Amino acid sequence: MSKEISRRTFIKGAAAAGVVVAAGSYFTWNGNNIPEKVKKGDITYDVLIIGSGGAGMRAALAAAENKNLKVAVMTKLVPTRSASTMAQGGMNGVTGVSDPTDTVESHVFDTIKGGDYLCDQDAVEYFAERAGANIYEMDYMGYPYNRQKDGCFHQRKMGGHSHPRASYFEDRAGHAMVHTLFEQCLENGIDFISECQMLEISMSGEKNDQLNGVIAMDMRSGNLIGVPAKSVIIATGGYGRVYWIRTSNPYSSTGDGIVAGMNVGIPFKDPEMVQFHPTGLSANGVLLSESSRAEGAQLKNKNGERFMEKYAPEKKELATRDIVARAIATEIEQGRGVGEGIHAGVYMDFTVIPAERIRERLGQVADLSKRFAGVDITKEPVLIAPTCHYSMGGLEMADFHTGESRVPGIYVAGECSCVSVHGANRLGANSLSEVLVFGHTAGDGAAAYAKEHNYAGSQDKLAQDCQKWKDRFEEVTSRPEGCGKTVPEIRDAMVNTMWYKAGVYRQEDQLNQATQELKALEEEYKHCYVGDSSHVYNTAFEQYIELGNLLQISHAIVQGALARKESRGGHSRRDFPKRDDKNFLKHTLIFKDQKTGEYRAEYKDVVITKYQPKERKY
Amino acid sequence: MKYALFPGCVLEGAAAEAYTSLKKVCEKLGIEIEEIPNWTCCGASHAQGVDDLAALAVNARNISIAENMGCDIMTVCNTCTLQLRTAKARLDKDEKLREKVNNILKESGHPYEYKGTSQITHFLWILDDHPELLDGKIVNPLNGYKVAAYYGCHILRPQEVMDHGDGKHPEYMERLVRKLGAEPVWFDANRKCCGFHAQLAAEHDVLKATGEIVDSADRAGAGALVTPCPLCQMQLDMYEPEGREAVHSQAQVPILHLQQLVGLALGLTKEEVGFNRHVSAQDKLKLG
Amino acid sequence: MDVKLRIHRFVEDKKWVQDYTLPVTVGMTVLEALTQIKEHQDPTLSFTCSCRSSICGACAVRVNGNAELACEILVENLMKRYDTDELTIEPLGNFRVIRDLIVDWDPKYARIKKIKPTVHPKAEFSAEEGCKQSPEEFNKFKKLAGCILCGSCVSECNKNSWNQDDFLDPFVFVKAAKITRDSRDKDPKEHLKAVVDAGLWRCFNCQECTAKCPKGLDPAGAIEKLKEATFKMGLDDNVGARHAKAIYDDISDSGTLDESKLNIKSEGFFAAGLRAPMALRLMRVGKMNPLDKHPVNKEIDTIRKIVKNAEAASKEEN
Repeated sequence: MSKEISRRTFIKGAAAAGVVVAAGSYFTWNGNNIPEKVKKGDITYDVLIIGSGGAGMRAALAAAENKNLKVAVMTKLVPTRSASTMAQGGMNGVTGVSDPTDTVESHVFDTIKGGDYLCDQDAVEYFAERAGANIYEMDYMGYPYNRQKDGCFHQRKMGGHSHPRASYFEDRAGHAMVHTLFEQCLENGIDFISECQMLEISMSGEKNDQLNGVIAMDMRSGNLIGVPAKSVIIATGGYGRVYWIRTSNPYSSTGDGIVAGMNVGIPFKDPEMVQFHPTGLSANGVLLSESSRAEGAQLKNKNGERFMEKYAPEKKELATRDIVARAIATEIEQGRGVGEGIHAGVYMDFTVIPAERIRERLGQVADLSKRFAGVDITKEPVLIAPTCHYSMGGLEMADFHTGESRVPGIYVAGECSCVSVHGANRLGANSLSEVLVFGHTAGDGAAAYAKEHNYAGSQDKLAQDCQKWKDRFEEVTSRPEGCGKTVPEIRDAMVNTMWYKAGVYRQEDQLNQATQELKALEEEYKHCYVGDSSHVYNTAFEQYIELGNLLQISHAIVQGALARKESRGGHSRRDFPKRDDKNFLKHTLIFKDQKTGEYRAEYKDVVITKYQPKERKY
Repeated sequence: MKYALFPGCVLEGAAAEAYTSLKKVCEKLGIEIEEIPNWTCCGASHAQGVDDLAALAVNARNISIAENMGCDIMTVCNTCTLQLRTAKARLDKDEKLREKVNNILKESGHPYEYKGTSQITHFLWILDDHPELLDGKIVNPLNGYKVAAYYGCHILRPQEVMDHGDGKHPEYMERLVRKLGAEPVWFDANRKCCGFHAQLAAEHDVLKATGEIVDSADRAGAGALVTPCPLCQMQLDMYEPEGREAVHSQAQVPILHLQQLVGLALGLTKEEVGFNRHVSAQDKLKLG
Repeated sequence: MDVKLRIHRFVEDKKWVQDYTLPVTVGMTVLEALTQIKEHQDPTLSFTCSCRSSICGACAVRVNGNAELACEILVENLMKRYDTDELTIEPLGNFRVIRDLIVDWDPKYARIKKIKPTVHPKAEFSAEEGCKQSPEEFNKFKKLAGCILCGSCVSECNKNSWNQDDFLDPFVFVKAAKITRDSRDKDPKEHLKAVVDAGLWRCFNCQECTAKCPKGLDPAGAIEKLKEATFKMGLDDNVGARHAKAIYDDISDSGTLDESKLNIKSEGFFAAGLRAPMALRLMRVGKMNPLDKHPVNKEIDTIRKIVKNAEAASKEEN
C-alpha cells in the first residue's frame, strides 16, 4: 500500500518537473525502454523523433551533432524492426564510382520520369544533389557496402534508371542501413524511448499551433506519457497496411504519424499515390522479387494463357511494375484468375527456367514460394497477385531545405512524408536515399529550430491530453464482449473495401461506394470490441489504435482518388485512363478540419524547373 | 566392418576405461578397429582459437593417414568428432583451402595429401546406422533399468557439420538405450551443456551446469547417465561432488561412457568395463 | 488436421500454460497461427512481429525448446519434426519476459554498447570521400553483417543461462567480430579489449548459438575468430587464453594433450595447486599419475613443421 502511495507521489512530482504522466497511473515502470531522465521527468527534448527506421535514426544522428541538444527517438517497437529493414535493392546516389558517365541531371530526370511528372522538380534536384554525399557518409559510418576492385563501394543499375547508381549490401540494402544507423545511435548515446505507441501530438494556444510534445502509451506499463519537446520529427513510415495482407509492408506500416500530423493541421499530400508491385504471393502479399520476371518467369491465367502478350506485346512480363500489376488485376477481375476473394491470383510459371538457374539466382523466391504457398517452383507455378509496396503520398513537407511541415516545430521525413520526390510512382532504390537525404535534412532543420526557440508549450495541456487518452484506454478496453464487431473484423471489411474499390484500379462509382462503406466502418469502430483490459503490453489496444489510423488513411486515399480524374503512376482510373496534365499536374492536399473532423481537398501546382511533361515510355 | 580409430587424448589418459571397454565391445560386435598411427590431438575445440589454419592442417594430417589406411574413421569423443568433421567439411567444400593445406602437409614432409575419401563417424552413430550389429548379442538385457541418455553438445551441433538425425530433436541414443533393454528417462537438463570446455574460465557457472545435469537425471529417477562423449563423462563424474555443492543437491548418479553401457548389455562385468576407475557414485550402479 | 499450441502465458505476474487448438493450413507459419489465435480465439495473447519475411527479427520465439523465427517456421514442418500434434511455444530464453511471448531488449542494447559497436575509421578516410576496401577485405566480415538482432542465438546459450553478468550475448560477439575484421577500422584492439573484458573466454562452446541462428551466421565461429585475434594482438593474458594456448602447444610438444600439466599452464602453478584435492581424487582411481611420462609422437618433427608452416601461411593471409 505504502508503495502505491509513494508511486503516486512520485508521479505527481514528475508531472510538475517535465514528463507528464496521466494522473492516477499506478504501474511501476518496467525496465529501461524509457530513459531514466524521462521517467524522472527532468527533461524537455529539443528534438523528439517519432519512428526508428532509416529516416528517424538518420535524423537523430544529424540533430545530435549539436552536442548540447537533447535528442530522442521514440518507437512503437524496438529499433531495427522497421520497414526500412526490408528494402532489398540499394540506395541511389550519383558518385560515378561504377559509371563515370552518370550525372546528377540524369538521376533527376530518371526520377521525374519515373514519377510520371508529379514530382516537384526543385525537390528532386535537391535530393539528387545530396544523395551521393549521403552514400559516402554511410561508408564512413560503417555501412558494409559490396565493393568493387578499386576499393570503392559498387553501384548497380535498378529498374527505370539509366545508369548504375545504387549502392548496396547483398540483397539486404535496407537491413544493413538500419543496423549501421542503429549502431551509430548506440555509440553516440542517442536516447531511445522504445515500445511507446505514439497517440497524439499535443498542441495548445489560441490557434492551436503551439507544440507541447508527444502523447504516447508506454506499452510496458500501460502508462500514458507526455514527453515535452521543442520540435518533433515525424518519421513513422508508410501506410501499406490499409490493404492488410495485400501488401509487402510490415505490420507496423499503419500510417500513425500521418494521422497525428493531419490532426494538428498538416495536409496529407497525394494520398492516392500508392505503388502496387505486381508479384506478391497470393497467400499473404509477401513480395517475390522483380528478378523473377527478369529471369524469365511467365504469367499465366487460369486457362494457361500467357496474358501479358495481350497487354504489352513486346515487353510482355518485362513491362513496368504498374503495367503488369494492372494486367493481373484485369485478368482476375474478368474471371480469368485462380482462387477466391482477396487471395485470388494468377500463375507465375518458373518451370520454363532451368531448375539449376532457379536454385542459383532465385533462391529466395523459391524459398518463399515453398514456405508460404507450399509450391516447388521448379515443378509447378505459384499463385501471385499485386501487392501494395510503397506509399508515395504522405505528410506535406513544406520546405525541403529544412524538412519542416507547415506547422511550426513539426518536421517530417521518410515514407510518411511527401516531399515530393517520388511523384506518382517511386523508382527502385530511391526510397533508401530519400530516407537518408531528408532524414539528415529534417534532423538539421529541427535542430536549428530548437536552437532558436525556447520551449513554450503547455505542460497542463500535455497532462490533460494524457488524461484524455487514459480515459479512452479505460473506456475502450473495458467494453464487454459482444458490444460490437472486433478489431480484426472491421479491419477485414476495410481491406475488402480498399482492395476492390480503391486498389490497383479505381472508378467513380466504386470510390463513392467506398466512401460510404468507410463511413459505416468508422461508426462501427466507435464501439468495437478490443478484448484485453490489461495495462501491460496491450497489443490488442495498440491494434485498435492502428486500425483507427488506417481507417482515416483509407478515407484520405479514397477522397484523393475520387478527385483525381486521370490516370498517373500508381493511380489508375478506369473511367479516366489517360494522364491529364492540363487539369491534374498538381498535388492533392487533404486537410482534416480540426473541429469537425471532415476532410477537405485542396490542390497545389507541381513545381516544374526544366523538365516539361512528356509521355512516359520505357 | 573395419574402422580407423581416432581415440583422442583422454582415452589415452584420464578416460582409459573408455578405451578398454571400447575394444572389448567392438570385439564382441565384430567391429574391427585399428588405431590411426601417430595421430595427434584434434585441437580439443581450443586450438583453432589460437591459429585456425594450424588446427586445420593438423586435422587434415590425421584424416589423411586414415585415408591411406583405406578406412572410414571412428571417433568416440564428441569434440574430436566435431573437430575432424569440421575440418573435413571445410576442406571438401573449398578447393583453394584444400590446396593450401595440402601444400603445408607436403612441404612439412607429411607423406599423404588430404583427399576426402574417408568418412568420419562416431561409435554411437555406427550403432544407430547398424542396429543389426547388436542382434543376438544382448545376453544381459538391462531389464528396464532407468538410464538418462545425455548427448552432450558437439555430437548434435552444428547440424550442417554433424548431420546425423535431427540436432534439435535427437532420438537415436534413446533408441539404442531401449534396444539394450534399458528405459530412457526424460530429464529437464538432457540438452544442457556440461561446460567442460569452460571449466577453467567460468568455473563457478560450469559447476552449476554439472550439478544441474546430474541432479536433473536423478530427479527423473535415472540409475545411470550415459554419454557418448568422454569429456562430458569426465566433467560429470570427476566434478560431481563440486557440482552437487554448487546446486545444493544430494544426487549421486553413475556417469557411464556409452561403450560401458553397451558392454554391460553384452555381458561384460562392471570391472571389465572399468567402472572401478570412476570417481563418483561407485556404489550406485545396479548393473553388471 | 488440427494442432494444439501450448503457449506459455505471463500477464501481470500471473503465469500459466494455455492450450489453443486450430486447423493447420498450407503455408501456416507459427506467426500465422499466433495471429489467428489472437484474432479469432483470444485477443489477449500477446507477441511482437513486424516484417513476416525473416529480416526484422521481431518475432523469435521458442518452440519445443528451440528458438525459431515465428514468421518463417511452418507449423506443419514442426509437427513432422517432433512427430506430434502438440507444440509448446515459449518466449525466448535468457531474456526477461514482459508479457506472454514479448521479451525485454533493453539490457541487450546496453551490452552491445559495451563493445563500442561502430567502425572507427582510419585517418585516411573521411565522411566526404568515404572509405576504401577491397572486395577480399569486405568478404572477411560480410557474413557477420547479416545479423538481424532476433535474439535466437542467446535463447539456449548455456553460459548465459547460468550467469549473464560476466558474458555477452552471441549476437554481441558477432557484432564485435564484424567490426574487428572490418579493414576500415583503425584500432580493432579497442573493440577486442572490450570483448575480452566482457567475458570472451567464458564461452562454453556448446554451439547452441550457431545451431539456432536463422541466418546461418555461426556466432560460435565468430567467437573463435575473436579469440584468434586476441593472440595476434597480444590480449592473451588470461586463464582462458592460456588454456587454449597450452592445448595448442601440446600438439607441437608431444602431439597429444598432457592433462597433468594443462591446469598448471593455464592457471599458473599456485592456482592449480588449489586443485590438489581433485588431483588426489583422480590419482586414487588411477585416472592421473604424475609419475607417468607423457609419450611423444613418433612423427613429432613433421607435426611441428606443419604447425610452423601453417602459422607462417596464416600470418601471410592477415
